[in-house]
Amino acid sequence: MNIIETRDLCKRYGGVMRVAHLDLDVPEGSVYGFLGPNGAGKSTTLKMILGLVRPTAGSIRVLGERMEGAGRLAVLRQVGSLIESPSYYGHLTGEENLRIVQTLRGAPEKSVGEVLGIVRLEGQRNKKVAHYSLGMKQRLGLAAALLGRPRLLILDEPTNGLDPAGIQEMRQLIRDLPGRFGMTVVVSSHLLSEIDQMADHVAVIREGELVFQDTLAALHGRSTHHLALRTDNNERACGLLAQRAVPCRQEEGWLILPVLRDEDAARLTRFLAENRLGVVRLEERQKSLEDIFLELTGKAASL
Amino acid sequence: MKLLKLEFYKCRRRRITLVCAAVLAVELLWMGAFFDRQSAEDMRWGWMLLLYNLAMVDAIVMPLSVATLASRSCELEHRGNTWKLLETMASPGGLYAAKLGWGALVLAALLALRAGVFLAAGVVIGFSGPAPWGRFGLFTLLSWAVSMMAWALQQGLSLRFANQAAALVCGIAGSFLGLLSLLFPPALTRCVPWGYYGLLALAGMNWDEATRVTSFYWRWPLPGDLALLLAWTAVFLAAGRALFLKKEV
Repeated sequence: MNIIETRDLCKRYGGVMRVAHLDLDVPEGSVYGFLGPNGAGKSTTLKMILGLVRPTAGSIRVLGERMEGAGRLAVLRQVGSLIESPSYYGHLTGEENLRIVQTLRGAPEKSVGEVLGIVRLEGQRNKKVAHYSLGMKQRLGLAAALLGRPRLLILDEPTNGLDPAGIQEMRQLIRDLPGRFGMTVVVSSHLLSEIDQMADHVAVIREGELVFQDTLAALHGRSTHHLALRTDNNERACGLLAQRAVPCRQEEGWLILPVLRDEDAARLTRFLAENRLGVVRLEERQKSLEDIFLELTGKAASL
Repeated sequence: MKLLKLEFYKCRRRRITLVCAAVLAVELLWMGAFFDRQSAEDMRWGWMLLLYNLAMVDAIVMPLSVATLASRSCELEHRGNTWKLLETMASPGGLYAAKLGWGALVLAALLALRAGVFLAAGVVIGFSGPAPWGRFGLFTLLSWAVSMMAWALQQGLSLRFANQAAALVCGIAGSFLGLLSLLFPPALTRCVPWGYYGLLALAGMNWDEATRVTSFYWRWPLPGDLALLLAWTAVFLAAGRALFLKKEV
């Protein structure tokens, strides 16, 4: 079952389509990575899913319910969220901040202590949030999202502003949530490596359009192997290979071929030598995830 | 009700009591200085003089006080980026109503306390005649109603703009116009929202140019002025709420 489904979801600001015809399917129990460069429309999409921004067109279903009208808040009782920067009252303590969320969500009083324990903020519960570090504020935001044990957690760039240790801790926590609490987690990021370490499903968005959506394993499956060949006359070699029905294309001074069996590769080099062509390099290559991300988004893996 | 209770919870350590005490202190000092300058002849107007001048002081002090309190209540949401959290748990209409309810209760408490303090002061000073409890009650109710109209305007501005300068400048302008409008002809005063503190005063003043003698008299607010006050309030509430609901976080 999909815990989130969007169909033909669009958002236009002025004359610019920031989110265009998005069909997202988030399977229940998954850690769903929502990946895209900055400004791709990730936050706008997540805000539309939460009902904070009105879609220009399209439909959204969360937990099987349409996110429209009075039913929206009833659905959101089962959804925790942390969008962009953390929300907090700086003049109140961490515990007081959580009491507000706990009251609004109708969660049991003891849940405040529990979530403070999960994000390891018990020792700072009586400190004013204005005196928290950014990492602590981010953890407090996560604690607020976890209050009431929601079925779905939506986290927008949750590691922003965290130090390396904090990033590692947050990733571990997110990875553990489905197993520990049966939650589905949607986590957005502009870092491919981050999604690669946390998610089991991934959607890639570019300029508001969905360019990939499947399991992370399927994304890895795209990292195909190939052979790269260099001769002293690539032009002629390419023509000869075509005669032998070996698909071949030229790329930055290399001939790119499909992976061949060892005996076929040996036969190929002999054939080229017989035609007075010198093979100067022959290597097996694998397309990295970064290459795939670059292809999908047209931008470098971390932007 | 839950949202209203939380408004009080959120305003912990926001020095709301201190702001209210400062408003009361300014009014007491102002009135103290005024009565200190009055002759025994003028003092015979006692309660009338007090209520006439209190309406004037309200016109100067309350617009900025209301702006300050509304700003204290709304600013904490902007500063902490809390709208995107709150609106996943409560409707924007509910959040708007809770802030309005909080303002109504704080202003009611402040003005009720103010009435008690000035009644006690009048008794201690020894104004002639019995204390006009009913008129004091009505005066407090009218001050609260005019303040709520100003609150509706200020809350709309404080919610719409994260930078509170716009709302506070409006409050300062309100104090200035509130004072100035006391000198306007009534028709023009009706066009100034803050002018209703003076317009609905329960005591009037006559100054005889020939004898140069000032006299005071009891008066009742005109029903038309009360209707106009309600109309102003409705306009500010509708506009402020619509702008808040329309805003995407």
